[in-house]
Amino acid sequence: MTETTLQQATARPKDAPWLSLKYREMLEAWLFISPTLIGFLIFFLGPLIAIVYYSMTEWNLLTQQATFVGLDNFHDALFVNPDFWHVVRNSVIFALGLVPLNMALALSLALALSRPFFGVVFFRTVFFAPVITSAIAWAIVWKFLLQGEAGAVNQMLAWVGIDGPNWLREPNWAMAAVIVTRVIKMVGLNMILYIAALQAIPRDYEEAARLEGASRWQIFRMIIWPLLAPTTLVIMVITTIGSFKVFDHIYQMTGGGPENGTLVLAYYIYQQGFEFFDVGYASALAMIMFVIVMVLTVVQVTVRRKGME
Amino acid sequence: MKAARTYLTASALAIGLMSTSALAEELRFTVWSGNEAHLKMLNGIAESFKATHPDVTVKFETIPPADYTQKLTFQIAGGNPPDLGWMMEDAAPTFAKAAVLMDIGPSVKAAEGYDFGDLSQAAMGLWQDGDKVYGIPFSTSPFMIYYNKAMFDKAGLDDPLALAAKGEWNMDKFQEVAKKLTEANPGKWGFEFKDGEGYASRVMHALMPPIRAYGGDAWANGECGLDKPEAIAAVTQLHDMVFKDKSIVPPGEQGDYFSGNSAMTINQISRASKMPEAGFAWGIAPLPAGPGGESPVIGQAAIVVFDQGKQKDLAAEFVAHMTNKENVATMAQFFPPARKSVLETDTFINSNKLIPADQMKNLSAAISAGKVLPSHEKSPQIFAAMAPRIDGLWKADANVEDSLKAVCAAIEPLL
Amino acid sequence: MTNRQIRIIYRTCWTLALLIVAIPFVFPFLWMVSAGFKSVTEIFGAPSLIPRVWRFQNFVEVFTYQPFARQYFNSIYIALAVTALTLVISSLAGYALARMRFAGAGLLMLFLVSALMVPEEVTIIPNFFLIKWMGLMDTHWPLILLPTFGPHGVMATFLMRQYFLALPKELEEAGRMDGLSRLGIWWRIALPMSRPALAAVAIITFLFSWNLFLEPLIFLSSLEMFTLPLALSNFTDTYGLPLWNLQLAATTLAVVPILIVYLIAQRQIIESFALSGVKG
Repeated sequence: MTETTLQQATARPKDAPWLSLKYREMLEAWLFISPTLIGFLIFFLGPLIAIVYYSMTEWNLLTQQATFVGLDNFHDALFVNPDFWHVVRNSVIFALGLVPLNMALALSLALALSRPFFGVVFFRTVFFAPVITSAIAWAIVWKFLLQGEAGAVNQMLAWVGIDGPNWLREPNWAMAAVIVTRVIKMVGLNMILYIAALQAIPRDYEEAARLEGASRWQIFRMIIWPLLAPTTLVIMVITTIGSFKVFDHIYQMTGGGPENGTLVLAYYIYQQGFEFFDVGYASALAMIMFVIVMVLTVVQVTVRRKGME
Repeated sequence: MKAARTYLTASALAIGLMSTSALAEELRFTVWSGNEAHLKMLNGIAESFKATHPDVTVKFETIPPADYTQKLTFQIAGGNPPDLGWMMEDAAPTFAKAAVLMDIGPSVKAAEGYDFGDLSQAAMGLWQDGDKVYGIPFSTSPFMIYYNKAMFDKAGLDDPLALAAKGEWNMDKFQEVAKKLTEANPGKWGFEFKDGEGYASRVMHALMPPIRAYGGDAWANGECGLDKPEAIAAVTQLHDMVFKDKSIVPPGEQGDYFSGNSAMTINQISRASKMPEAGFAWGIAPLPAGPGGESPVIGQAAIVVFDQGKQKDLAAEFVAHMTNKENVATMAQFFPPARKSVLETDTFINSNKLIPADQMKNLSAAISAGKVLPSHEKSPQIFAAMAPRIDGLWKADANVEDSLKAVCAAIEPLL
Repeated sequence: MTNRQIRIIYRTCWTLALLIVAIPFVFPFLWMVSAGFKSVTEIFGAPSLIPRVWRFQNFVEVFTYQPFARQYFNSIYIALAVTALTLVISSLAGYALARMRFAGAGLLMLFLVSALMVPEEVTIIPNFFLIKWMGLMDTHWPLILLPTFGPHGVMATFLMRQYFLALPKELEEAGRMDGLSRLGIWWRIALPMSRPALAAVAIITFLFSWNLFLEPLIFLSSLEMFTLPLALSNFTDTYGLPLWNLQLAATTLAVVPILIVYLIAQRQIIESFALSGVKG
């Protein structure tokens, strides 16, 4: 932005307005928004509409031939392909494991770290550090740590007499490993949201309760927890939706294996579309994912409104 | 530094970002090797092409091997195909079926002094469909046993080369020495699958040598062969070695042969370049024979021309140049050739500085007698369908027969 | 025991418990750095955080097996470009949404909100064909355009809007009296007052781009175009053999500088994320 253009721009309103003020403001507003809006239409809304068409085609990425097949892809996913329900099941297990663990840990850490004490900054910094680290780097390191007998995790477990499983080779353990390492990576974010919410609670509430002889648990149960409710609901829905998006972590750590034990929806879409070149089917899966996420979003909006009341 | 600055300026102007549209006479050639010696050799061949095509330059672009086929697909599907490229055997049918490969038969056959008949028919099988020629193999590389001489000596055992000379190198002997090697070298293993990836990305490389030795195959004529008795016997033996004898590096463990942690592995001769830094005496030997006799397994790669390329005729001429007798002989220092005339010469036998002539002869024999790894037009889907079931196989308590039946059930619809 | 002593013991126990919980958060970083100096054999040998033999050449070889310096540069300049672009367009749109009244504003907001939650996996396939149609495959353009205009850009817009809403209007009105245009007010008055929000957007956006993986995976195919996460995810030699120790050395090189910046500016960075999370 140079001075001259600014001056030209500033000169205008003094001249006779060529539009009435109201329309002028509107025009300006749309101009301000237009970069965002145009980009949004091209790279987001357009693709979202296109995918409806894609999902009704049989389309090979390599041969680039598309034929219209109606709802065949959806029929395939829902009623024919056994992998689909397996994948949905995995996604649900992933979410059900990740969300409560993440939230419980986040809240515990936030309660421990919301008041100043010696070392509080150190701990906050430590628990938040994985959040800023790339998921790929995080998964690379954990993949090493979780190797069979030679892995550091099992070596440490051996010190306390536990014979650790071959984490990434057993479907159930692999799922557990992916969930836990993801929680460690992301819990810091929810922790600081909880800390912010806790710090916003006026101290007098707690003081008053204490004077009346309430125990710590009672204070938490009767005062803090209800006041945190809006934050809890928001965190819950954001974390749930976030759990459906996890791709890079799983790509690097397990590649969906073993025995498809960690194959979740986001990864399945990538696999079908870009590894098997089945664009139509992958698009149908993407549509299904969109619907799932939209339902969760509606839940969020409703829940938020209720939280406000 | 200067290049970086120039680039910075360019990107600041948002020009450096634009797709670099190829110059009129530049051929883009994708390879998966970033090895300096390889690239030097390839550039030398490109340079010699200038004798007949003075204006043509060839730009070799390295795509990492692990994602090679997929990235190549992205380039083709993304409307940005290279003119030519290397291609692995397992991708060939997929690409041929999708009609993205050019028929280069007329071009190469017409090239002066090319002698198309000199290319071994066995090696060409995968790349020909009737009269059409979709690629010329530049590397027809058999799987060989690499062994650590020191570990054999420590266990007081004959090494595989000696056993092969005596005619005793078979699957039973293989299991026996692997077990003894493991016992004689505590904390180490008798055998490691190819690159330690036998349970993941190199499942086929782990399974095919024994299955073929037993006379079986992965699939043939639309029928799965993995649940046939030959395959079951072969895989049962491997399974016993992993979980009963504990002589093969098990899943989730690392026992790198090149670091001296396993006494044997299976690999191709390109990996010999890693041996000088390994620091132990070593050798290569044929794969152990089995009830099905000797059955060398070959990994193959060819040069192909992409049909959507802008200069495909020129590219085809370059293939003819690159795979003529002279250049195949040049490439033989790294890539075992498919030309009979080159294969039979002493030049090839003596071409590898790291491998003695008597061992190279075994290699030569394996190329002539070998069979290329299985491939299929639906390779990506087949391998993906196999992977989870194969994961189930590699457990101590797995029932091999049931697991292989499950593999076949999963892939049969695709075959 | 006095009350004071009880409190000290209580505190110590608490701190010890927190230290134990902190292990899985810290140990991976320590292990990564240590393994970056080890040989492959030692990485898979008995675990220890101090390498028996310090293999410094790992950090040299990282640059020989892959064009790592170039990949590093790619990541930096792409992240800077995405950050700059996002700052401009999100603060423009955020300002308009906060301060200007226009028909369709409500609908537009609803529209944009809905984008916030949609994962990029949903739109990646059509975007693949869009980028192809634009002739931008294997360039860095998609890695700049998609994050800027995708859900992340929308999040940045909302963050800016929220901040502008909380600013006092008086200064802007004074500016208008002085004859400043809307653009002038935005540039001269609103932006200078919004430094914290701009800093937050910049930090989050930089890290978002820096850690981006799906888009590079799909749009890039030449080694020298790769960004760091893509380069790290498959650190192999020319035969596709994994180079474990070099992968860890490279990961260390990619992670540690960011970590150092984080340690210096942890307060600012954490607050930025708190801001985005609450608004998002």
